[in-house]
Order: sequence, then structure tokens, then C-alpha cells
Amino acid sequence: MRRLRSVLAGFLALFHKEKSEQELREELSSYLQSSTEEKVLAGMSAEEALRAARLEMGSAEVIKEEVRAAGWENAFESCWQDLRYALRTLHKSPGFALLSMLTLALGIGANAALFSIVNTALLQPLPFKDPSRLMMLFEGLPQIGSPQIPFSAPDFTIFNRGQKSFAAVGAIQDKEFELSGRGEPDRVIGARVSASIFPMLGIAPALGRFFTAEEDVPGRNLAVLSFGLWQRRYGGRPDIAGETIELDRQPYTVIGVMPRHFVLPLPGAPANFLPAALWVPMAFTPAELQGWGTRYDLTILARLRPGVTLQQARSEGQALGAAIESQYPQDILKDFYGARLEFPVVPWRQEVAGPVRSLLLVLMAAVGLVLLIACANVATLLVSRAVARQREIAVRRALGATRARVLRQLLLESLVLALLGGVLGLLLAFWGKDALLALSPADIPLPQNVRFGPGMLLFVLGLSCLTAVLFGLAPAWHTAGTDLQQSLQEGGGRSRSAGRSRYRLQGTLVAVEFGVALVLLIGAGLLIRSFGKLLGTDLGFDPAHVLTMEIPLPAQAYPRAPQIRNFYQRLSEEVSSLPGVKQAGIADDLPLEAAVFHTMEIEGRPQVGKPPAVAETWVLGNYFQTMRIPLREGRLFTPQDNENSQPVVIISQRMAKEYWPGQDPIGKRLRQEENQPWITIVGVAGDVNDGPVGRPRQPHIYIPFLQLSDSLTADNVVGEARSMNLALRVAGDPAALASAVVARVRSIDPDVAVANLATMPQVVSSSLAGPRFNTSLLSLFAGFALFLSAIGIYGVLAYAVSQQRHEIGIRMALGARPRHVLRFVLAWGTRLACLGAVFGILAAFALTRLMKGLLYGVGATDPLTFAGVTLLLLGVALLASYIPARRATKVDPMVALRCE
Amino acid sequence: MPAKPAELVQGTLDMLILKTLALEPLHGYGIGLRIQQISRGVFQVNPGSLFPAFRRLERQGLVKADWRATANNRRAKYYILTEAGRKKLKHETRDWETQTAAIARILAASMGEL
Repeated sequence: MRRLRSVLAGFLALFHKEKSEQELREELSSYLQSSTEEKVLAGMSAEEALRAARLEMGSAEVIKEEVRAAGWENAFESCWQDLRYALRTLHKSPGFALLSMLTLALGIGANAALFSIVNTALLQPLPFKDPSRLMMLFEGLPQIGSPQIPFSAPDFTIFNRGQKSFAAVGAIQDKEFELSGRGEPDRVIGARVSASIFPMLGIAPALGRFFTAEEDVPGRNLAVLSFGLWQRRYGGRPDIAGETIELDRQPYTVIGVMPRHFVLPLPGAPANFLPAALWVPMAFTPAELQGWGTRYDLTILARLRPGVTLQQARSEGQALGAAIESQYPQDILKDFYGARLEFPVVPWRQEVAGPVRSLLLVLMAAVGLVLLIACANVATLLVSRAVARQREIAVRRALGATRARVLRQLLLESLVLALLGGVLGLLLAFWGKDALLALSPADIPLPQNVRFGPGMLLFVLGLSCLTAVLFGLAPAWHTAGTDLQQSLQEGGGRSRSAGRSRYRLQGTLVAVEFGVALVLLIGAGLLIRSFGKLLGTDLGFDPAHVLTMEIPLPAQAYPRAPQIRNFYQRLSEEVSSLPGVKQAGIADDLPLEAAVFHTMEIEGRPQVGKPPAVAETWVLGNYFQTMRIPLREGRLFTPQDNENSQPVVIISQRMAKEYWPGQDPIGKRLRQEENQPWITIVGVAGDVNDGPVGRPRQPHIYIPFLQLSDSLTADNVVGEARSMNLALRVAGDPAALASAVVARVRSIDPDVAVANLATMPQVVSSSLAGPRFNTSLLSLFAGFALFLSAIGIYGVLAYAVSQQRHEIGIRMALGARPRHVLRFVLAWGTRLACLGAVFGILAAFALTRLMKGLLYGVGATDPLTFAGVTLLLLGVALLASYIPARRATKVDPMVALRCE
Repeated sequence: MPAKPAELVQGTLDMLILKTLALEPLHGYGIGLRIQQISRGVFQVNPGSLFPAFRRLERQGLVKADWRATANNRRAKYYILTEAGRKKLKHETRDWETQTAAIARILAASMGEL
């Protein structure tokens, strides 16, 4: 009650401040009068009495201050005063305020932008019901180096039957569809999912319903659409449920639409990571369920049963592996080469974040360093300002302000700066994260639905306060401790002490800035060097003037091998005759795409351990000529290498070197399986990058498409042979020919979809998109850091020179030559930069190894990069010091002395 | 009168002011003087502690203020003990007596009692 009254009185006092101040004044003067009267009564003269009474009472102002301090509202009041004072001070030096605010805004903005992405990608739980219980399951043969592989259909079925740890288990598999019917035929990425998946995730459909377990059987053609596809293709019509759409030329009934932000599969997983535009029932076919030892391509999600720990689920997974082995056909089991099968259980969150984790952490560290530099920079500005404000502070302290009070006021000024910077930074971040995500290439699975929630506001607020302390505390402490005597005696606040010791704090800050900038620059330098190496790699083919596209054929319309062969053969002939087309070839995978690996048996080579796995490409038409892959030995394929002739193969140089070193491989034979016919090597082709640029090349074989066994081609499920790529070498701009080629494709089959239409240079460029993204981002941050530290060193030296004009004037009057002065200032700047460089190099040695995974062809401690970047930094420091140094030489001794 | 006025025990000033006002309403100077007189000059309260204490007591509702005319017919701010103040004083006095008695016992203790 009493406390409440005290609080209320405080509020009243806030609003009736004038009245209570007035009362206090009157009361004090009445006190003085009473005291004087008393003393007069005791026999003093009126004058003496007043003097004595005044002396006894002490300063009325101090008493008032103490009375004010007795109420809580005073702290608030004085803070408000300080705040207004801070705003006024900043308003009076707009240049300083603007520069520091922008510096901080960039630092805070970059951090906030990146943090919003890191937050979504690494920290926030997945957007599903009780996400910490969601697991991803794998098969594993750890003894032969395959700790985590996706599931096969029969293994999934047995596992699901045997397991007790999970309340629900479901499978997901990417599947591309030809979406036709109304409008232009479209290629869409879809997914087959078990009926258990949607209920497991706990997300309700935006429209309609999911399929049930009873509907998860072959022949029930149902589809659930993504929000995006529904909007894009069907205009968001609410009556879409129940409508029939055509997928791979089969009618499917749409039964539901998912909410806007629902994404499945999540990008980032090792397999099945393409977000689907529509979902169909998994509906395993009998052939799939009998496919022992083939097609390990199912992503399995599972929800832990309540009360079951991850540890328990893991041990069950291990036990089940052994149990399932007994159900395997014996001839499949021998492919395990003695390894024991197990089922690793991994939290889904961990699998999704995996691939971007190191990149995001490196970038986060980089922006953190940039912010540190920004702080150091603002701190040097503050210190410089503080020196000029020494008199003001000294007067305030002389008038009774405590050190704490001055400290508080200075920190409040920093806080105002930081908060203003934070607000600007937030705007910057809001725009910046979108730019960042837009620039990020598809193969870096960053989350696309990053949103700014209250959490982000809190982060920026916290970061701003932290920065305020970081850059404000040292200067404020330094300033608040100002020695009254000395600084008042010094008259104009000018320094007469010679040398650098006065500027030690600023000097240290600048050296630290340079050190941190060097770390960033070295990081960026390493990335730039590896990117240069990537650009310089010989791809093994000539991408210029090549147009490529994928032309998938639906199994319903092209069920058997002959139809597929006919279509692609006809396609190859039709497009070859197009004006402008020089050569045309067809292949199941293009260079720079990950080729499919197959195990091989090589004639005369004893089978020990794991058989060799080589990349395999099926080709048709003039593929080698189109890509300009050089033939090193033997011959290329001819149209006569067809299903009726002896099977032949062309191998890569790398393959020749690895398996027939020092021999002529032409005429040697290999085969894919024991019961398959031997294939004869007829040629050796040059090596081609068969994965992303920068990945080591694998042994590679090329097989004539026309000689593929019917079973491979007609397999209803795999469909690799049904999604071949067309490559054309054209005269002039390949993009210009695209529509003519598509028209020619449609003239063969009007419903066929054309996917991934791109020129080969575009493919090369997008293959480099990941490294380019990393490199340009880190370079941007490093450049920013360098710029800031250059400003920092410039600011300190320029300030020091302007403060020491007097001393420089005397020196010059005493005979110092301009070049002596120049040398003095330059040496000072260089010394600071060198100090920073030593620190930076040491730090970089420790830190760059963290980014090993992002480098190609360059060591993490590449001496050339270290030396080059350090020289660059010193050069910039010298340049930044040169301007103030020049100004110092321009000091006119007479003017400098006279202005005292 | 001792050579040097004694320091007030921390926190006792409020109690002394309340006690002074329990006798009759007084203005600021009067209160200081009264404390000095009653303590026979042991306590000299300077206005720097007196006025903040008034503000504090007023805030807590233990005293209330009233502008009245003095004996010399000047306006002065008189402080009056409220009912809450009276209760508080009683409470504080009891506490104080208990404490001082205990302290006195401890200080007077001889070996035999321990």
C-alpha cells in the first residue's frame, strides 16, 4: 500500500514538477530564514547570521538534487534528460551521427539478414507437429563405406512390419510427371508418398483431403496439389477438388490442396530433396516390392512412439538389420561383401540442415567480423570526439556530476546511435535477405520462406544494445574518467604532449580493425583463388554454341523399348535437318550432371571385394561431335552399332589408365552382370567433367542407346531411358533456335513436355553458381571490412594531425622538412596496420581451416594468398594514411603558432 | 556538547523525525533544531539529509505537509504526523527498544554468563 502510494506520488510529481519544485524552493528559503532568525536571536548581526546560516545549510542546489533523488521518478527523469541531450548532441554533429549510423546499420543489417536465414535453416524447428520426434531412416552398410543409403521398397516393407519404435513410418520418392491436358504440356516435379506421411506431419490440407491407407494401392490415381501449382495452373479455383488432371497421360483425380507454405520433400536431404508440386500415393507395385537389392531411392520419415528415445530406436534399427538379412535372397546378400546391414535413425532436422550448415556458419562468422569492425570504427570516432569534448565533460564533473552519471550519459548516446543504426539495419536486412535468397543458387538448399517475426526484432534490438556497449563502453569509460584539473588547465583542450601515446586507444582499435579485416580478406582471397581455379579447369568438352533440353516420355504412351528407340532416333534425325543445326546428339545425362554409376566386371580381372563402379552414359546420334569430346583412340559409334550387332563401348581415358595401365584397351571386354553378354571396347574418349566443376573425374563408359537391352529400356519404373537429353551444336546463338527445336519435337508428339531447356554455357555457369555465390558474398563482406578499416585509419590519423598542428608547426619552425613530417605520419599509420596484420595472420591461420570444404585446388593456409592479401591491406593502409600525412606537411608554422 | 556531533545510526533519522512530529507539527528548521536540542547537541542533522527524508516520509504517507504561518508570521511548510505515521513510529520504537536492549545485554556480558 505504502509502495503503491509512493509510486502514485512519483507519477503525480512527474506531471506537477513545476509545483513541487516551487514548493521545495520556498521551503528551503523558509528554512534559511528561520535559521537566520535563530542566529540573530542568539546575538549575531543580521549579516553575520545570514552568512552563518548559508554556510550551515550548504548548497541549495545540492539539497534539491538530493531531494529529487529520493523519488524514483527522478531516475526516469534524468534518463529522459540524458536522452534528449544525446539527441541534441548528435543533431549538432550530423556528419558524425550519419557516418556512425550508416556504419552500424550495414553491420547490423548484414547480421540480421544472415541471421534470419540461419534461424530458419538451422535453429527453428521444422514447421510440422511435434517436429523433434520426426526421424529420417536409412539403410547402412558401414563396413563397406556406405553408412547411410536410402531405402529400397522391399526393405522398407519388412522394416515397417518389424519395427516397434515408431508410431508412423512413411516413404517419399521424387517423381517427375508430364502434366498435360489443359494448356501447354508441363514438366512438374512431384512425389510419391505413403498415406501415413501427411497425418504424421500434422498439417491439414488447405482444401479437400489426403488419400487414405486404403487408397495407397496401385490403380487408385489420386493427386494432392501444392498451393503454388494450384494457383499457377488452375487459377486457385476452389472447385478443383474432384477434377481430373492428366499425369503421364493417365487421368488422376485431384482430392486436395496443401497450404501455402507447405514444402515436402525438404531441400537438403541426400536423396529426394526436390520440393514437389503435387503428391500421389506411393502405391508400390508388386515388381517394386520384389526388387531385392535394387533401387535404393526411398526417403523414409518416421515419428517416434511416445516414450521411445532416439537411443532405443537406434538399437532397434541395428537389431532389425540383422533380422532382415535372413529374409534376403542369397544372391543379393553376397553383394554386401560381408558387411552387416543396419538401419540408422537420424533426427530429420539434422539431415535437412546438414549441407548448408558450414556455409552459413562461415558467412555468419564473416558478418560477425564485419560488425566487429564497424564497432571498432565507431569507437574510434567516439574517442576522437571525446577528446574534443573533454572540456565539456570536465565542467560537468566539476559541477558535481559523478563519473557514473557521465558514463551513463555517454553510453546513452551510444545506445541512441546503435538503435537508430539498428532500425536502419532492420530495413536493410529485410531487403537484403530477399536479395540474398534470390541470388542463392538452387543447389544451395537455403530455406525460401524466411519470415521476419518478433524474434527478429528481438535479435536486432539485442544486437543493437550489444553493439552500443561494444563500441561505446571503452570510449565512455575513457572519457568519463577525464582528469578535471588537467583538462581545464589545458585551456583550449589542445594537447601539447607529443607522440602517439595519447592516441593509444584509437590506435589499438584501428590495429584490431585491420587484423579482423585481414582475416576476412584472406578468407575471401582463398575463395577467389579457388574460384579462379574452377573457372580455369578444362571441362573436357566445348560448351559454346550448344543447346540442350530434356525430353521425357511417359511410360503409358511409350511402354516398350522399340517405341522409345523409335522416338529418340526420329528426334535425332528431325532436329539434325533443322537449318542452323550442325550436329545433334542424345544422351541420358549431360556433362556436369552427376552420371549414374554402375558396377562392372572386367574380363581377366579377378573379382576381389567391391567391383569397380563407373559412370555410364547412353548415347545416340552424333553426341561426341556435338559436345566436341575428343576421340583419343579407336572409333566412334556408328548407326550400325544397334541391337543386331556385337555390343560395343567407348571408355574414357581415365578408365583406360585405371584398368588397363600401359596397355591398349581397344578390343578388351567388360560386362555389367555375370549373365550379361561381354561388351567390346572400340574407342577411348577424352575425359569429361561428369559432376559439378571441381569434383574429381570418375572412370566413364559410353554405351550406344540402340544396344540397350529391352528390359532396361522398358522397365516401367526406372525410366532413365525415357528421359533423354537432346544436345545440338548450332551456328550462332543457341538460344535463338530453341523455339524451332521445340516445335520440331512437338511435330513428332504434340503432348510431349520439354524440360530443362538451356544452353550449355548456362549449364556450366549454373554448375559454378554455388562457388560463385560463396565467393562473391564473402568478397563483398571482406571489401566492406577493408573499406571500413581504411576509413578507421584515415579518421584516426586525420584527427591526430589536426590536433597536433601546433606541435607540427613547432617542428617545422625548428627545421623539420615536409618529408620528415610525411614520413612520421606514414610510419605511424603503417605501424598500426602492421600490428593488425600480425594479429590477423595468426587469427587467419587458426580460422581458415574451417572453410576447407569450400575451397578447391587451394590450401587453407595458401602462402600466396596470405602474402598477397596482406600486401593489399598494407597498401590500402598506406594510401589511407597518405591523405592526412599530406595535410600535415601543409601546416604553416606561423599559422599554427599564431592560432594559439 | 561533544567536540564532534555523532553520526546518526543508519536509518534512524526517519524515526527521530516521526518522534519529533508526534509531539507537535513543526516546520523543517524546527524539526532539525528540536532533534539537536533533545539530543543535547549529540545529533546535528544537516538539511541535505533532512529534506530528502521529508520527501521520503511524505511519499510513504507517514507525514503530510501543510503551509502555515510561523510565530513570526511567516509562511512555512509544517509537517504533521498521519495515523499511518503514528503506527509506524510505535512499531519502530518497539523494534528499536528490543534491539538496543539486546545490544546492551551483549555489551554488558561478562565471562561468567557466556
